[in-house]
Amino acid sequence: MSELLNTLMQDARVWQGHRHTQTTQPAQSTGYQVLDNQLGGLGWPRGALSECLLDAPGIGELHLLLPLMQRVCEEGKSVFWLNPPHTPYAPALAREGVNLDQVVLIHTDNEGDFLWTLENCLRSPVTGLVMAWPGKLASREVRRLQLAAEAGSNVCVLFRERRYAGQNSPAALRLELEPGEQQDLKVNVLKRRGSWPGQRCSLAMAQRADLSFRETTRVVRGPWSGSTG
Amino acid sequence: MLWLYLHFPHLVLDHIRRTREDEGALVVVEGSGQKVIQACPDARSQGIRSGMRLKTAISLAPDLGMVRADETQEARILEDQARWLYRYAAHIVLVPPDGLLAEIGSLQKLYGGLPAVWQTVEQGLNERQLNAWIGIGYTPLSARLIARAGKGECTADKGHILRSLSQMPLLAAEFNEKACTRLQRLGLNTLGEVFDLPPGELARRLSPELLAYIQKIQGTRPDPRTPWQPPHSFRQQADFVQEIEHTQGLLFPLQRMLVELEEDLCWRQQDTDSLRLVLKHRHAEPTRLQIRTSGPEHRADHFLNLVRLRLEQHSLSAPVISMVLLVKRFLSREAPSGQDLLGETQDLNEAWHTLISRLQARLGDQALRQLSPQADHRPERAWSASEVLRKTGTPPVPAAELPRRPLWLLKGPQPLTEAPVTWFSGPERISGGWWDGQRVHRDYYIAQLSSGQLAWVFRDAREGWFVHGWFG
Repeated sequence: MSELLNTLMQDARVWQGHRHTQTTQPAQSTGYQVLDNQLGGLGWPRGALSECLLDAPGIGELHLLLPLMQRVCEEGKSVFWLNPPHTPYAPALAREGVNLDQVVLIHTDNEGDFLWTLENCLRSPVTGLVMAWPGKLASREVRRLQLAAEAGSNVCVLFRERRYAGQNSPAALRLELEPGEQQDLKVNVLKRRGSWPGQRCSLAMAQRADLSFRETTRVVRGPWSGSTG
Repeated sequence: MLWLYLHFPHLVLDHIRRTREDEGALVVVEGSGQKVIQACPDARSQGIRSGMRLKTAISLAPDLGMVRADETQEARILEDQARWLYRYAAHIVLVPPDGLLAEIGSLQKLYGGLPAVWQTVEQGLNERQLNAWIGIGYTPLSARLIARAGKGECTADKGHILRSLSQMPLLAAEFNEKACTRLQRLGLNTLGEVFDLPPGELARRLSPELLAYIQKIQGTRPDPRTPWQPPHSFRQQADFVQEIEHTQGLLFPLQRMLVELEEDLCWRQQDTDSLRLVLKHRHAEPTRLQIRTSGPEHRADHFLNLVRLRLEQHSLSAPVISMVLLVKRFLSREAPSGQDLLGETQDLNEAWHTLISRLQARLGDQALRQLSPQADHRPERAWSASEVLRKTGTPPVPAAELPRRPLWLLKGPQPLTEAPVTWFSGPERISGGWWDGQRVHRDYYIAQLSSGQLAWVFRDAREGWFVHGWFG
């Protein structure tokens, strides 16, 4: 082997696949055992950026974060919603046991304010979780956010469109979310720090609309066919 | 009673010099702009004297800074001085335009002697970079005369004070011109010679007012003075010789003002949560800025950070000629409570206030919202968003009492454009609002669209189908 390669190996600057060890990065359990298992038993990384890539809201993406939201509120820390596409519905959040005193909604007008706000929230010790809907984001800006996230030890989840799945991103965890057949949520791990990606799992999300019974016969038939067909 | 008199020979100049970063000769000119009234030491060293014509002064010092005399401004500046002096002495009398009188006889014991009082006052003057001549006397007028003559000494010895008063020429004793001539015609040249005359003789030869004045100096006639009361608000003004065009330039004087605010708040043992900043322009309406913190605060650096953020957002519409900082709302200070052993609770609370204040200062108060459920059946009215102020600590509503609702509510119902794939529960009829004219009559269903989204859809009275929420 060449001298250069030897040096690199000795310096441990090249990660070698066979030495796959358990990473010790700080994390928060997702509250879903199945998903935690896929993420090496850890969950949402703390002090790093996570990305959820999805096409449209309403597939259970908030329920994915709900256990963490509940836990953060119990700890007395705040949950920030930055530029959500719709209104988080207060009665539903209260019903799920989220303390609304800890929930702060922020709207920013421009991208500069958005990044600034996110950085400030991430650096503060009162923050437990930041959920942000950035819209368009250059990968340079994602990098900036990743650095801001490293300054604090909070969970930060960016919700982005699925077409960004191909774009490279410095986020520590990237999940692709798709709706499943049984109102479940299919999670595809696109990237996770310190290990191989490609894990897939499906999380039962039918409880989000009290659809525990899945019997089409018992469901009231909508009057749809009569009106528009 | 022992009185201490502070004579400020050029108060306006001192006031303006404090808010300037650069040094330079300064003068105060009279209203018509013809004559120099006050000159700072810098200007005096260049040969400028008070009473000199402005043109002469400018030819002596071409880069001379000029300020126009303004009575209301002078009165305000004098009151600013009374405010800090009030921390040391309770009984203060304003002597416009340039003097302050403080009763110090009762303070000697508190401070441990007259020299300590003197030193405290001098220290206060130095901290504020003020020039003042101090005089001590047993009557307000004697203290004033000694101070104005610049003969003040730190002594409470009656004989000594009387001697220095006696040596004072009549011109320095502030008699009016007529009285002065009259006394001089009597062959009197110093105040001591006037004092030596028997009172009967004086009463016969002089006007009653003049006699009263002399007796007030001597202390044989009472000279009551109304004590000054500190106002229930904080006001600081910085006047600029040169107009300030960039917000950065405002930060330097602002820093000093905020430090004084902090001192003032510490002294009041109070906090505040809103500052008002008024930027005055020469030809335009003043700009008013309101800076709010999310919780009680008194630290200058915290305020400065907020103001800096606010000024970064705000570009000046016109150059600023003066800046006023106003605080009218005072809050009592909270005793730190509810701390655990490591004091973490308090820290978090404070950090929360810091973060929210920062965000509000940059984004505006309206950008931050807190949610709460409301008692109404109509989905769009079953929640409300309010300004983030403080943690309220309201007990959470028991979950079982609330119906199943989606986590996302659309800003308004959107028309349903496709037939849902699967229908789940429904209909749930929501009808109400007849009492306030916002009538709602809808049947809600939960349905899945072909994209896999779980939607909260409804059909209203007019048979239209809408999406109102997503089960996120």
